[in-house]
Amino acid sequence: MPINRRDFFAMLGGVTPVAPNQAGGDDFSPRSPELHVLSRLTWGVTPADIANIQQMGMEGYIEWQLNPEAIPDPRVDEFMSRRQVLSMSATELRRIADEQYGFVLTNVLWARLFRATHSERQLYERIVEFWTDHFNIPLQDFLTEKTIDDREVIRKHALGNFRDLLFASAQSPAMLMYLDNDVSNKEHPNENYARELMELHTLGVSGGYTEADVKEVARALTGWTIEYGRNDMFVFDMNRHDTGEKLVLGQSLPAGRGIEDGLQVLDILAYHPSTARFIAQKLCRRFVADFPPETIVQSTAEVFFTTGGDIRATMRHLLLSDEFMTAYGQKFRRPIDFIVGTLRALRDGLEVDNTYVFIEPLEGMGQIPYAWNPPNGYPDVAGAWLNTNGLLYRWNIGLSMALAGEGYADGIALNLDAVIPPANTVGELVDLVADRMVAVTLPADLRQLFINLLNRDGDASAPVDARLRRDYLPTLVGLMIASPQFQWH
Amino acid sequence: MSISRRQFLGGGIATGVLGVGQHLFPRWMPRMAFGQAGSRERDVMVVIFNRGGMDGLNAVVPFGEGAGYYDKRPTIAIREPDGSDTSAIDLNGFFGLHPRLRPLKDIYDAGALTVIHGVGSPDPSRSHFEAMEYMERGIPGDKMTATGWVARHLATASWTNNSPFRAVGMGTMLPASFRGEISALALRSIADFHLGGRQDQLAQVQRTLSGLYRVETPDDILSAQAGQVFNTMSQLEELANQFYQPEYGADYPDSEFGRGLRQIAQLIKADMGLEIACVDSGGWDTHDGQGSVDGEMSFLLDDFARGLAAFHADMQDHMNRVTVVSMSEFGRTASENASAGTDHGRASVMFVMGGASAGGVHADWRGLTGDALEDGDLAVTTDYRDVLAELLIKRVKNNAVDQIFPNHTVNLHNIFVE
Repeated sequence: MPINRRDFFAMLGGVTPVAPNQAGGDDFSPRSPELHVLSRLTWGVTPADIANIQQMGMEGYIEWQLNPEAIPDPRVDEFMSRRQVLSMSATELRRIADEQYGFVLTNVLWARLFRATHSERQLYERIVEFWTDHFNIPLQDFLTEKTIDDREVIRKHALGNFRDLLFASAQSPAMLMYLDNDVSNKEHPNENYARELMELHTLGVSGGYTEADVKEVARALTGWTIEYGRNDMFVFDMNRHDTGEKLVLGQSLPAGRGIEDGLQVLDILAYHPSTARFIAQKLCRRFVADFPPETIVQSTAEVFFTTGGDIRATMRHLLLSDEFMTAYGQKFRRPIDFIVGTLRALRDGLEVDNTYVFIEPLEGMGQIPYAWNPPNGYPDVAGAWLNTNGLLYRWNIGLSMALAGEGYADGIALNLDAVIPPANTVGELVDLVADRMVAVTLPADLRQLFINLLNRDGDASAPVDARLRRDYLPTLVGLMIASPQFQWH
Repeated sequence: MSISRRQFLGGGIATGVLGVGQHLFPRWMPRMAFGQAGSRERDVMVVIFNRGGMDGLNAVVPFGEGAGYYDKRPTIAIREPDGSDTSAIDLNGFFGLHPRLRPLKDIYDAGALTVIHGVGSPDPSRSHFEAMEYMERGIPGDKMTATGWVARHLATASWTNNSPFRAVGMGTMLPASFRGEISALALRSIADFHLGGRQDQLAQVQRTLSGLYRVETPDDILSAQAGQVFNTMSQLEELANQFYQPEYGADYPDSEFGRGLRQIAQLIKADMGLEIACVDSGGWDTHDGQGSVDGEMSFLLDDFARGLAAFHADMQDHMNRVTVVSMSEFGRTASENASAGTDHGRASVMFVMGGASAGGVHADWRGLTGDALEDGDLAVTTDYRDVLAELLIKRVKNNAVDQIFPNHTVNLHNIFVE
């Protein structure tokens, strides 16, 4: 196994640079509103997605994707049935992970990419990613627990109710361990979880809590721990609980209670207006733009608040808004999104033997799935990802992946003829590749660059013979993946 | 997938690739001359961040404290120096290095290594996230200032330097200290910093990419960054094709940290215009299994010390104009916890290595008992900003420390000679 535990431990700490992006503009105009919707709801537009949205209409498609439980997903079901480690109990999984850390790790990482690539529930996979960042837990430290958390917390409640999601997270062994609430007790209340619960999970750093609130919440949550040595699940331990009176965000928690203290705190936080605002802000940053218009943040927060944290209703509002519809070219694909986008673009001709082929470049670009160390999750703005190292990686991944059919990428095979249909002329071939790879109308001057690649005289009507196709189709596809139009959506 | 040019082309490729390379880069791209940016006048800074909170008390052991140290750490303490390789390495009769820091002892003895103990940020946050942010931005406690201390240093410098290598972050992302209006380079691998794909189509690929990214008429962050990639590839072309042979038998550890230092050495020797490089050493959050002479932390110390020692050996002809400085967001609890580890504490240690380092151990030491402690742990008695400010003033010749570290009155501790 190529990854060992020590390598994986040596990940970088966290930074969240802020830099204005702004792609947008004529270079990034989608071919149609439907293509814009698909490019944001999916992990990369495929011909099947286009057929679906044409058949269902835009609103119909969005509604379909908002109800993932009703969407059959045979390819993922089949995949999961072959990877038993992904559906094991914590006890079973821990036993295997202790002996075969790399085996479990590789399966979990590949499952992340596989589901994003092949699931019919594309929007669901995107929301799962959002909450994975929001309730970040580094896999390298908590392989078993995070694998369970992904299944039982994030995926179970991704489009459900925020309160349920928050409660599940608060009682998730992975979160209890990661943010140390498992060791908190009345003598030494640990503030780690209490702080991040308010700062990162609910109210936001400017959400109106004080240092005193952090201490009080930590007291309220004492006794929320793990039943170590039995089933290693959540347990409330009254002996560790501080039964004194507490004051949280101006509300009094009477003395003499047990688990009710923590439950009440979570209710206060889940239904707090600052939480609605904070979650709405983050959803809009993810799904609309790095710096979303205030109007959409405001209206999304209202929906979140008035529905009592109904995530599906909140997303429906956001995705049907004018602000969303006009925000094309505003989001820079993060590395995982870029890799999955490449996989989806090529998947009809791709055979994967060696899944590590996709993890190595993610390490090189700084986004191994679930591996962000600090509790704030992988950054979600272009400024964090758009740097020289990352850009060159994208170019080279595009170029070498498209050449996988010629041995440029170990352990994967690619038949580009299964991806790109035959074309008679150079212009036709460029258009076919562009249609398959990107959601925008290529500006004429950029289209001409591709034509120049295939024909020295820049003649779009020049014929494409077998040799030209063989020699240049991989590079054409690679450059389309390397293009700015593939990076922004 | 490998993106290595060597793999694509097999052996014996260097001249062929270089031959092609001469005309690969578009004519509009100026071959820059950096005028060496006054490399004789100021030090190149190499900044190491020990991410996760390094346990200063086991890295540099205050064995002279006696029970004040040993009673708090019944299973993980490092024994008093007794000459064996399982005890501390005596520095000055009070402090001693962890045995895995042995490679640093010769450098210390030569006066080229200074240890600053009890150092840290005045902000009491014990959140990694917050403490790292504060430290790298250089403004503890201030959440509103977005720029980092490195960016403010370069923005206030009296000299100019248009090299793309002026500020380099070794790794996948730029550190928060670089945040601001400067053009910094994220560089993970010199050897891999070139275009892959079919090498016989390289010129066409270059031309298409620079056109697609509108590199010739940069008007947004993407085209600017793409231009920077081309620029850097051009500048690195020769280096990327050379096998870098460290000098004086220097043996860098094969880790992300070791590779980072090795490549920084390569850039400095190649006179690429480098002024400041940052590299991370991660994994110091030793809550459990930290261990004593062995254990999780010993591996980290081993990597750290071997990296520094290799750099020092390799760079010995240059160290009069290079300063290496390390820091960590906080130290760890004075007492070990229930799982043979330590939790987030306050002060830690910094290491300063280079010809201008004054040597010795600098510590405003108040001990590990009673009121000397800060919330139960080793108190911060030296502000990390003082160390950086002294470096900037004395060795880098930037006196604008009031802008680099606003709202901080700098105290010079004579950690550096002029």
